[in-house]
Amino acid sequence: MKYSYRIIIGLMVALALPFAIAGVVNAQSTPLSNEQLARIVTNCVSAKNTLNQLHASDALLRVNRGQAYVSISSRLMTRFNNRVETNSYDAKDLTSATQNYDNSYTAFYASYKAYEEQLSLALRIDCTKQPAEFYQAVASARTKRTQVHTDVVRLHQNIDDYSAAFATFSTDFTSRGVNN
Amino acid sequence: MSDVHTEHDAYDQPDDVSYWAKHRLLALIVSAIIISLGLVTISLALYGSSGAAQLDLSRPGYRAVSSQAVKSEQTDKDFGNYAAFGPLDQASITEFKTLYDKQAGSAKAVDAFSGDPLDPVFLQINAPSTND
Repeated sequence: MKYSYRIIIGLMVALALPFAIAGVVNAQSTPLSNEQLARIVTNCVSAKNTLNQLHASDALLRVNRGQAYVSISSRLMTRFNNRVETNSYDAKDLTSATQNYDNSYTAFYASYKAYEEQLSLALRIDCTKQPAEFYQAVASARTKRTQVHTDVVRLHQNIDDYSAAFATFSTDFTSRGVNN
Repeated sequence: MSDVHTEHDAYDQPDDVSYWAKHRLLALIVSAIIISLGLVTISLALYGSSGAAQLDLSRPGYRAVSSQAVKSEQTDKDFGNYAAFGPLDQASITEFKTLYDKQAGSAKAVDAFSGDPLDPVFLQINAPSTND
């Protein structure tokens, strides 16, 4: 009986420990000095203006880039893969590259959504009254924007991967045509 | 107790009609409003959770940039209309390569979301240095 109690207590400690550590880390990551808080309050209006402009320009960038990224998959990759398959050629590598690209786009979609929501949250905070919260919200939005850029870089890499798969297919197709 | 009914009584509602039967029109209007509020709530929740809100440049705050969004007609023109069906020959491969290289180059030309505009130093919300 005592043994089972120990197991239960051990499990509870194991489950609670990560939260306790996260709480300590979080508490340690927010020591803003009075001077910094005063600086945030002083520059609150200009910081918010900059964030508002960034919010709008990033939205435009997201819409235009997103449209281009989706079109590359739906209007080019998928159509070419389909054409290859309907002509009874092996499109495995091309399909795989397209799948990776689509997965990256899904990640980009989600990470931009998370970033935009965080930036909107930061914009809703009154930085003259809650400077520490504003600072943390901006810091979180900064991390999330970095993730969006990482996803963009991965999408560009996937575009190159498809290009490489296409080049291989094209070379095989040409050599087969020459041999035939 | 008189059991005599006049002609006028035929148009009157009987006393034993329920409360809801008496207020059918009001109940209909209230129900319609409740249902429409529910549907609006659901659609707004979907609008927010699906990510559509992030792509909606008609929202307040985006009006200044909405005119700069690439129109779908322009995208149609840029991407051409590569057919998903048809014979696969050297001409169709060359056509695809031309279209793909052009659009891939265009997509990669913009290093979107690079830079660090949310740097506290840039926003002037960083900790003041000893020189400040």
